[in-house]
Amino acid sequence: MSGTYKRCWCFLIRLYIGCNLIFFVSCQQSTEDAGIRIRWADKRATGLRIPRQLALAVAADSLNQRMAVRLAGNETSMLGQFQLADNDILFEPLIPLTRGLHYTIWLGNKRLGEVAIPNLNPDDKPTVLGIYPTQDSLPENLLKIYLHFSRPMREGQSPKYVAILKNKNDTLPGVLLDLQPELWNADRTLLTLWLDPGRIKRDLQPNKRLGAPLQTGVPYQIVVSANWPDTQGATLGRSATKSFVTVPRDSLSPDPEQWSINQPKQGSLDPLEVTFGEPLDYSLLTETLHVIDEEGRAIAGKWQPVDEEKRGLFKPVMSWNTGQYRLKIESRLEDLAGNNLNRPFDRDITRKNKSPTPHLFVDMLFRVK
Amino acid sequence: MKKTYAILALGVAGLLFLATTTRPIQNQYGMVTGTPSIKSINALTFGPDGVLFIGDGKSATVFAVDTKDAAPVDKSAGADIKNIDQKIAALLGTEVANITIQDIAVNPVSKNVYCAVQHSDGTPVLLKIEGDKLSAVSLKDVPFSMLALTNVAAEDAKDRRGESLRVASISDMGYADGKVMVSGLSNQEFGSTFRSIPFPFTNTQNQASLEIYHAAHGKYETMAPIKTFTTTEIKGKKYLLASYTCTPLVLFPLDELKAGSHVKGRTVAEMGSGNSPLDMVIMKKGDESFLMMANSSRPVFKVKYKNLEEYQGSLTTPVVENFATAGVDFVSLPLTNVIQLDKLDDTHMVLLQRRSNGSLDLWTSNERYL
Repeated sequence: MSGTYKRCWCFLIRLYIGCNLIFFVSCQQSTEDAGIRIRWADKRATGLRIPRQLALAVAADSLNQRMAVRLAGNETSMLGQFQLADNDILFEPLIPLTRGLHYTIWLGNKRLGEVAIPNLNPDDKPTVLGIYPTQDSLPENLLKIYLHFSRPMREGQSPKYVAILKNKNDTLPGVLLDLQPELWNADRTLLTLWLDPGRIKRDLQPNKRLGAPLQTGVPYQIVVSANWPDTQGATLGRSATKSFVTVPRDSLSPDPEQWSINQPKQGSLDPLEVTFGEPLDYSLLTETLHVIDEEGRAIAGKWQPVDEEKRGLFKPVMSWNTGQYRLKIESRLEDLAGNNLNRPFDRDITRKNKSPTPHLFVDMLFRVK
Repeated sequence: MKKTYAILALGVAGLLFLATTTRPIQNQYGMVTGTPSIKSINALTFGPDGVLFIGDGKSATVFAVDTKDAAPVDKSAGADIKNIDQKIAALLGTEVANITIQDIAVNPVSKNVYCAVQHSDGTPVLLKIEGDKLSAVSLKDVPFSMLALTNVAAEDAKDRRGESLRVASISDMGYADGKVMVSGLSNQEFGSTFRSIPFPFTNTQNQASLEIYHAAHGKYETMAPIKTFTTTEIKGKKYLLASYTCTPLVLFPLDELKAGSHVKGRTVAEMGSGNSPLDMVIMKKGDESFLMMANSSRPVFKVKYKNLEEYQGSLTTPVVENFATAGVDFVSLPLTNVIQLDKLDDTHMVLLQRRSNGSLDLWTSNERYL
């Protein structure tokens, strides 16, 4: 009895495995046999290659009328172009095909096949490379925060994925300015966030009613959520946090007269090192400083903010020649509180204080010996 | 025989000369046919004869594209598509969460609605809506021209442009009297720019800084970014009517907006802080005109134009109560969560609205709201 039962049980298991295998093979067949392939570019599924023999009867100029690609289970034909490419029919959708979704390919009412766009490798995730300013004590009238990512991120998401926490647990609402479109650099890896300027400016209505966004002497955290997707749909995977404590407000413009410059050696590739005495704006530092030679020519090289943005290093492409140089500073350069070389961010314009005439540039001289 | 050779030689030389000097044929707006490399679509607005201006913040460029959609239509039923986001997602073969509607613009000639959509990977798509039909607008081999938005550059800025981190985002765009107007914001310094660009494009673009008196703030400030604007005429004088975050409504005389000028605006209404204006249009019913304005946290506002014209004051004292309003009177319409707004004709508006049942609908309003 037990032997018969065992045999019967084994048969059932075999039958189950067999059926599954058949099912598995037939699933594979629907795309494999049809030979439809995905065209990839930059990890994005930018097209489908459909073997020409699947639609031999269709003339090249009527492919767009006769053929269609649809989201599986959907009756809407997708927008895109069919054309002949090599021995295939190439379908190019208006936007890349979405990972994790299935698509069906049709010739009139005949289904030619189905394609699944594979999910991204779960380990292939973007990361937060930096949150600026770097310093862990920041003025209470801090104006800007920069988030630097390793890959282009999806836009328009910051209100959902960035929060400022007070005392490690209270999320502060309405602290960051909700700007649409957001302020991204061209490759979408650096995002500028503004703390609400109306609340920073003293005595303005939002400031009076809602108070300044940050108060002196309080521990805060900037938290970037792990759920923020990049342009390919991969999420950060790990959240990023920057903790800082606020110090009293900074109401003074950066003053180049207080800066110091090292003297690079003639014939060397030594970096020019400018010490500011206070941290300055991360993004502006990389492009508002220029080195000019005696003939007025700009020296090629790259600026790099170091030491928590309190120093700037300029690495020249060519070695230094003897002579006098000029460090040309654009006046739009700001400190962490948005004070630039010409004016403090928050000034009482009803007070008639003597402000110097604004200049586009401020120059500092140095010598290479 | 010699003569024949000479003529032949001359002919060949002439042909060669022609071949080397042939340039792409330009149309009346100085456009040439080709494929514009548009990286993003932040704003849309129509110019003359079906010319569509596309504001591309990513490449800091304004493109002018001839849509060839210029057959005049006097009366149109407008557009009407329920759950438009789901329909667009199906047409693009993706899920609703992966798309964002960036802007809509009505072609004033054909009355067709153009809609800019952005995919989550940043790919821009331009769609045309005729009634309840959606179709793609091809930007391949079209007559177009373009103008790069320039910044005040440093001496070596030219060498660095390729790697510059500085980007001018485009918050709104408009066209009037042969000029494309673009409002924008920099990702580096907190400054707002307003550009007025003659069309057909030349090399000139006037950049002005605008100063407003922000009643809710109580002081002059130069730096607030314009969120949306339109142009208008009051007592024979042309004005820029702009609205900012925290919603003051400000008039700037257009003839004063010149290169490098610094223009002080007159705040005519304070529509409450904690809100951001989204779109505005000017409508007309009989002899009366109205300004209609869509908002992020308020319903659509309607301002009687007569009141705007008659309001000669300028708000100089802060609005005392928070979230309160001042200046020219306005009416809140029973239209909430309107995300996009454009004018179909004098009495009809095309609206993109998130309904209370969660559905995102594109529809056309009638005179009832005027």
